[in-house]
Amino acid sequence: MGNCLKAHNNDDISLLRGNESSDVLEQPSGPPPPYHHEPSQRAQLYYPSPNVSRPANQLTEEEQIKIAKRLGLISHLPTGIYDGTSKKGKECAICMCDFNVGENLRILPCMHSYHKECIDDWMMRSFTCPSCMEPVDAALLTTYETS
Amino acid sequence: MAGGLPRRIIKETQRLMQEPVPGINAIPDEQNARYFHVVVAGPEGSPYENGVFKLELFLPEEYPMSAPKVRFMTKIYHPNIDKVGRICLDILKDKWSPALQIRTVLLSIQALLSAPNPDDPLANDVAEQWKTNEAKAIDTARQWTRMYADSN
Repeated sequence: MGNCLKAHNNDDISLLRGNESSDVLEQPSGPPPPYHHEPSQRAQLYYPSPNVSRPANQLTEEEQIKIAKRLGLISHLPTGIYDGTSKKGKECAICMCDFNVGENLRILPCMHSYHKECIDDWMMRSFTCPSCMEPVDAALLTTYETS
Repeated sequence: MAGGLPRRIIKETQRLMQEPVPGINAIPDEQNARYFHVVVAGPEGSPYENGVFKLELFLPEEYPMSAPKVRFMTKIYHPNIDKVGRICLDILKDKWSPALQIRTVLLSIQALLSAPNPDDPLANDVAEQWKTNEAKAIDTARQWTRMYADSN
C-alpha cells in the first residue's frame, strides 16, 4: 500500500510544455543524468493537510487519492532551467537563496517561480502560490479553458 | 535535514539585525538560533501605546514550510490573545505561506494590536467585553498595559 505514491511521474504524460523531457534535452552532453527518486527519508512523510504529516502507510484511502492527484497535478506544471536572463525574481521566496544558472525552477500559472524542490515541497501541503496565495488548481483550470 | 541551520534562517536573522523593523526588536537566543526573544512596542494610538510587550518566537524544524510559533510573554488584554499569550492570527495557522517571514509575522502582530478583531476571538470574555462595551474594554487594555507592560 502506498508504494504507488513514490513512483510518480513515470507514466504521466505532460500536458504542458517542459518537465522531464525538456530538462534532458537541455543537459549538456556527457554522462546521462542519474535517475533519482526523492530521498527516502523525505518520501516517507506526506501531508494530507498542511498541519498533518504521516507516513504513506498510515494514510487513509481518501488521503492517498488526494495526494496521488496532487502529485499528478504538480507534475503537469511547467519547469525550466534558470538561465540568468529573467528580468525579475532572482531569489527563491521559499529558501531565500538566489537562483543560480542551471538550477531547475518551477513556474506556477500565476507566473511566480521557485526552485522546483522548494515549491514542490510546499504544494504537497497547500496548493497555493506562496507569493500571491492564488490557488494553483483554479489557475490551472483557467489555463486549460482558455487554451 | 539534520545539522546546520538552514541558509534562510541565517539570512533572515542577518536582515533583521541590519534593517530592524521600527518598534520591533527580535534577537536570536544565544543557545538556540531558532528561538527569538522579541519585544514589540505598543502601537501609537492604540490602548497598548507606551507599553513594551515581550514575545517568544520559535522556528520549528519544518520552517518555512510551517509557520513560526509565537506567543506573548507579557500579559495583554486583547480579544485575539488569550491568557497564556497564544495569538489568534490566520497567517500563523491556515493562511501561512513560506513567502512570509519573521519580519512579516511580527508586523502582522503589531497590526493586530492596532486593530483588535473581537469577531474572531480567542479570549472569549475579552471579546465579549469588547463588543458590549468597547470604551470599557479599551480602558481595561490601557490599565493592563500600565500594569504589565511598563517600559521602566
